[in-house]
Amino acid sequence: MMTVRDLVTAYGKIEALKGVSLEVAANSITCLLGPNGAGKTTLMMTIAGVLKPTRGSIRFLDKEISGEAPDAIVRRGIALVPENRLVFPSMSVLENLQAGAYQRKQSINEDLEKIFSRFPRLKERSAQQAGTLSGGEQQMLAVGRALMSRPRLLLMDEPSLGLAPLVVEEIFRTIAELHRDGTTVFLVEQNAHMALQVAQHFFLMEQGRISFSGNPGSLAEDEIIRRAYLGSAR
Amino acid sequence: MALLADLLQNTLDGIALGATYALLALGFTLIFGVLRRANLAYGPAIMFGAYAATWASQHFHTNLFVLALVVLGATILAGTYVERTCFAPHRAGAAAAAMVASFALWMQIEEIAMLALPKHLYPFPALYEGAPLTLGPFSFRIEALVMVTAAVAICLLLRRLLYSTRFGIAVRAVIDDPRAAALAGINVPRTTALAFAVASAIGGAAGFLVAAGDGQVTPMLGMWSTLKGMLAMMLGGLGSLPGAVAGGLALGLIEAHAHWFLGPQLRDFVAYLLLFALLALRPPWMNTRSES
Repeated sequence: MMTVRDLVTAYGKIEALKGVSLEVAANSITCLLGPNGAGKTTLMMTIAGVLKPTRGSIRFLDKEISGEAPDAIVRRGIALVPENRLVFPSMSVLENLQAGAYQRKQSINEDLEKIFSRFPRLKERSAQQAGTLSGGEQQMLAVGRALMSRPRLLLMDEPSLGLAPLVVEEIFRTIAELHRDGTTVFLVEQNAHMALQVAQHFFLMEQGRISFSGNPGSLAEDEIIRRAYLGSAR
Repeated sequence: MALLADLLQNTLDGIALGATYALLALGFTLIFGVLRRANLAYGPAIMFGAYAATWASQHFHTNLFVLALVVLGATILAGTYVERTCFAPHRAGAAAAAMVASFALWMQIEEIAMLALPKHLYPFPALYEGAPLTLGPFSFRIEALVMVTAAVAICLLLRRLLYSTRFGIAVRAVIDDPRAAALAGINVPRTTALAFAVASAIGGAAGFLVAAGDGQVTPMLGMWSTLKGMLAMMLGGLGSLPGAVAGGLALGLIEAHAHWFLGPQLRDFVAYLLLFALLALRPPWMNTRSES
């Protein structure tokens, strides 16, 4: 569904991505693991169009999309749930969801209902300011906002960050449900244990490069985790 | 009794003055909100609009309504010029560069207006030229009544635009978090440019009301508009739209009372002293969020 080839993204002279290549298959959950500073968020931001790559290609549904503006990427069917959620704090829960559907001219009531039935707590708080929600509720809202654009590929950058274990389980249950309902998910996670339970395929990223890829069964989990966080011996 | 009458009369005058300040602050705040930048060329764009209308009134037979449209149109034109040349190229970072550039445009726009109309003072067709309305010991200028009514109408329109339309949701999303807005599929550069145009229109409306209320324009209108807009925005808590209205009214009331009780020389001094105290003490309603 999406193919990334030799992608390079730099902050000034410092290359955060040094030629990343990976593939996300349609109707899969693909997970990207790696230590802090490996470039995972940079990759997500580059795919979403917030950062411009200096080289390389991103193909989505056989169309080159690298370098396009973020709103054009959303129109193509890719939505990113950003790290730290980034809800609109002064706007109500409902307005946050409406903002997520900004591109769509048709009626959004059906989508709102779907999201409210998936996340009943958002419905209860639909008039509340998003900045006053708990971390877990903000994460639900960020996911809901992304779903309002009806994405074919959902990118999620560390959805479990800073959340209590029970809430993390809820988030991963949601990811599995979305996948079952036909959404392709590309997930960046620190919580490798949880991620490997839902993912069909994973990539390891170190220092701006993909260092390993495989299926969760192809390597012992503790070996993957060791490589993801301690780095592989070179 | 006389003191009470003075207090009430000053309050009436202050509300009339504050209504224009509120408009100036709303425009300034809207730009500050979407860009997180102080636009020093905000007032000069308004001055350009007022000068364009003054020029039109000298060369053509025009009525006030047409002049109001000329002020709005020319202010939006100048505002868009400022946005395109100084803010759009510096969108990512470089806050200082954009502010210095807006200072350069301030000078440029003022010079252009003064080349066309070089005298120090030009008459502007007045809103109303009859006697003020008197009610017992109080007098209320009819033009002040028009200014307050227009300001209230514009505030309500803006509120509707920002809180009940798709465009309003986009603008407020950009104000809250431009990056998250882009990720939600909002075209941030276009939304910013349109918000800038709306802010210029509000500023232009304020400029028209001031010029027609005073019956004159001077080159000082540019700097005056920037300063009053910025001051009222800061009084209202830096970046909040309802705060901008409150700050504008507060500034009008402070000036009216200070003018009467302390004299015209101390009027601005009192306003700036209060701002200094607010910035030093930072009461909880002051929005001191840092740039992320």
